[in-house]
Amino acid sequence: MLLRCEYHVDSDLRFLSNLDMMHLMERALRRAKIPYALSEGFNPHLKLSLGTVLPVGLWGMREYFDLELKWPMEPAEFMSALNKALPPAMGLAQVRVIDSHSPALMKIINSAAYRFVIDASPALLEQIREDLLAAPQLLVQSRGKKKEQNKDLRAGIFKIQVIETEDFVIMELWVSTGEPVNVRYDELSELLSQHGIGPACIKDVYRSGNYVYENAAFNTPLEKVK
Amino acid sequence: MKDRLFREVLPRVSKPARYTGGEVNMIKKDWDLAGVKMVFAFPDVYEIGMSHIGGKILYGLINERSEHLLERCFAPWPDMETVMREEGIPLYALESFRPLSDFDVVGFSLQYELSITNVLNMLDLAGIPLHSRDRGQGHPLVVAGGPVVFNPEPFADFFDALLIGDGEELLPEFLDVVGQQRGLVREELLLKLAAIEGIYVPSLYEVSYNPDDTLQHIKPRMEGIGGRVRKRVVASLDKAYYPATPIVPYMNIVHDRAVLEVMRGCQRGCRFCQAGMVYRPLRERSLPTLQEQAAAQLCSTGYEEISLASLSTLDYSGVDPLVRGLVEEYGGQGIGVSLPSLRVDAFSIDLANEVQKVRKTTLTLAPEAGSQRMRDIINKNVTEEQLLEAAEAAFKSGWLALKLYFMVGLPFENDEDLDAILELVKKVRDIGQRFSRRPVEIRASVACFVPKAHTPFQWQAMNGPEELEAKRRYMTRYRQKNIKLSFHDNRTSFLEGVIARGDRRLGAVIREAWHNGCKFDGWSEYFDYERWREAFRACGIEPDFYTRRERAQDESFPWDIIDTGITRSYLWREARLSQEAALTSDCRIAGCTGCGICPRFTVDLDLKEAGQLSGERETFILDGEGAD
Repeated sequence: MLLRCEYHVDSDLRFLSNLDMMHLMERALRRAKIPYALSEGFNPHLKLSLGTVLPVGLWGMREYFDLELKWPMEPAEFMSALNKALPPAMGLAQVRVIDSHSPALMKIINSAAYRFVIDASPALLEQIREDLLAAPQLLVQSRGKKKEQNKDLRAGIFKIQVIETEDFVIMELWVSTGEPVNVRYDELSELLSQHGIGPACIKDVYRSGNYVYENAAFNTPLEKVK
Repeated sequence: MKDRLFREVLPRVSKPARYTGGEVNMIKKDWDLAGVKMVFAFPDVYEIGMSHIGGKILYGLINERSEHLLERCFAPWPDMETVMREEGIPLYALESFRPLSDFDVVGFSLQYELSITNVLNMLDLAGIPLHSRDRGQGHPLVVAGGPVVFNPEPFADFFDALLIGDGEELLPEFLDVVGQQRGLVREELLLKLAAIEGIYVPSLYEVSYNPDDTLQHIKPRMEGIGGRVRKRVVASLDKAYYPATPIVPYMNIVHDRAVLEVMRGCQRGCRFCQAGMVYRPLRERSLPTLQEQAAAQLCSTGYEEISLASLSTLDYSGVDPLVRGLVEEYGGQGIGVSLPSLRVDAFSIDLANEVQKVRKTTLTLAPEAGSQRMRDIINKNVTEEQLLEAAEAAFKSGWLALKLYFMVGLPFENDEDLDAILELVKKVRDIGQRFSRRPVEIRASVACFVPKAHTPFQWQAMNGPEELEAKRRYMTRYRQKNIKLSFHDNRTSFLEGVIARGDRRLGAVIREAWHNGCKFDGWSEYFDYERWREAFRACGIEPDFYTRRERAQDESFPWDIIDTGITRSYLWREARLSQEAALTSDCRIAGCTGCGICPRFTVDLDLKEAGQLSGERETFILDGEGAD
């Protein structure tokens, strides 16, 4: 039985690497006595796959993993057992049984939304939003494999929203994580910096969601299960 | 504080998860309700400190079983230190994020001589005066424990008190007294603490030296202070506390697994081994206790591996049923068992095969010396035949790499002994080529012998860095196929040797070295021998005095102030036997060898599963040292 789970990672755990997160999850599954399935072969391991890597330093509102179980378990029961075993800074929000032949999270997630909590006026951010969307080209220095090279992010920025909160303003950018261009959060930071929003006025950065972007619509991996 | 760290500081440093705390099973006690507030300070990075079993035991013991509170603190890596100094952030504890200066007691765990500069650096980062004499009423008590403090004298300037021996009973007792005597002036509190068995308060003793610079005596400054400090011993490990819910770190640490301490102490009597002498007698945990502890730890941590720790796990009398039982019980859930140290014999290989049914990568064996003569000198009761049998069994069952541990610079060593190491490694490789289907690799790791206090070799001269370097060159003069030789840094070993048998005068050198920028001296990328040489010169102290000098039988040693239970006459007899390359047997098998611990401390060997070894045991002491 294959389960797809949505979970959150709070700020206290923002410094964990992807490997740390894998270990944390595996150990929580053992503590919760979840009947996880083991792979065959010489070095049996849990059939657990995390979606896209949450960058070190960021926390995440809606992250995803798939897990295969040895025998069926009620999703609600699974959720409450695992939530008790997870650190307080993490928790499952939704669990769904999915078809065991569903394509992997890593195959279907092609978009992510990042939120920058900014100490600036809403008007300024609205202006930046318009400028970014109007620009034919948005060049930053690549942070990925091809460092030193310039990278054009424009085609990878799908949508920008400005949200006002009590203390700060949030700029949320919905970007591509695969084709046509993989946009990284630190490249977005540079973009903002080019527009006068330096590190000093950025109070927090987090990933607000991961999406399947198709035909101009954003669906979560739970909404979009084949 | 925490908010500022998370926002401004941690994003700028490597491995920030070292500094966040909040791990699964962390215990954060209510500060205002707790009795004495102590921080357990480990003078190395998080991933090393969190791997240490003693720390896990004391953390659980104090927080679960006493009214006191014990938080944790580790040495920040230099990048973090730089940011902390820039930002004016004092060293803090991971549970409450309070600065160390808020605590009543700062207790360091000294596992390695060279971590002392990190102790000074941590005190400095905490804004606590480095020297005991400069600390007053408002400052925490700064104390230390661990194997290194069996020779406490080099560190006497820095600590208010040293806790000697097993901590399970000593630490709670110490904290109770600190709690009861709140409000006493510091000097009076130290007097009360010195009355506890196992506690050494260096400032209550005066030291004098002979004209030839050897120690004349270490004498109590006043009446009522003991002439020697006895280590503390936990009589029964079955009754002793052991944590059921240890912390599960978020980041990968050195020993990232559940761990059972199957026994404490070792009776093999290897003459170079300090742990084998100072942690006597051997005490085992029973199988049911260990099985229960395994179940509890795995349940509370979710670890995928459980390790069986001790000085020589394959000597645990119940190792076979224990290992097979654990594999049977947990193997199906993908939980593995690991044996950190193997004995050099075919039985060990069988058991290693049991736990490593898959992924047979590297197996480690420690013959320690190449020639039989040298193995007899050090009382390593292993024959070449046993080693070759073990190698054959390993390669036949599919292992592809063997790692062998050796030492050079041992007493009475000559070129033939060095040649014998190379010969032995070659023989092992040839066995590998004969019995393995694939090419094998032999890695020989060669450490420099460091004579340690409280061992039969405490009278011996140590090789200097030049001699050790010459031996390294001699051994690497030609390369051999499929054999890799690696050598420990001989300058690091030399400095370890100075401190291991040092006296109180070294305090000035250590302080000067730290002042010159020495820290993380156990890490090759930070160790700076020249800075240490400068510190010795500046203090007018010749390091060779501590290392390259053979000591007279009746010389007074700084560490004589500590009574480990082992008599000096036993150590001397062992030293004489080593000269003749004569063996001394394991007392579990051949009867009491007269080391002195059992009758003098009214303890006994505690063996659980070996019916044939039990029965009436007679113990004896070599001479009249029993009465002190």
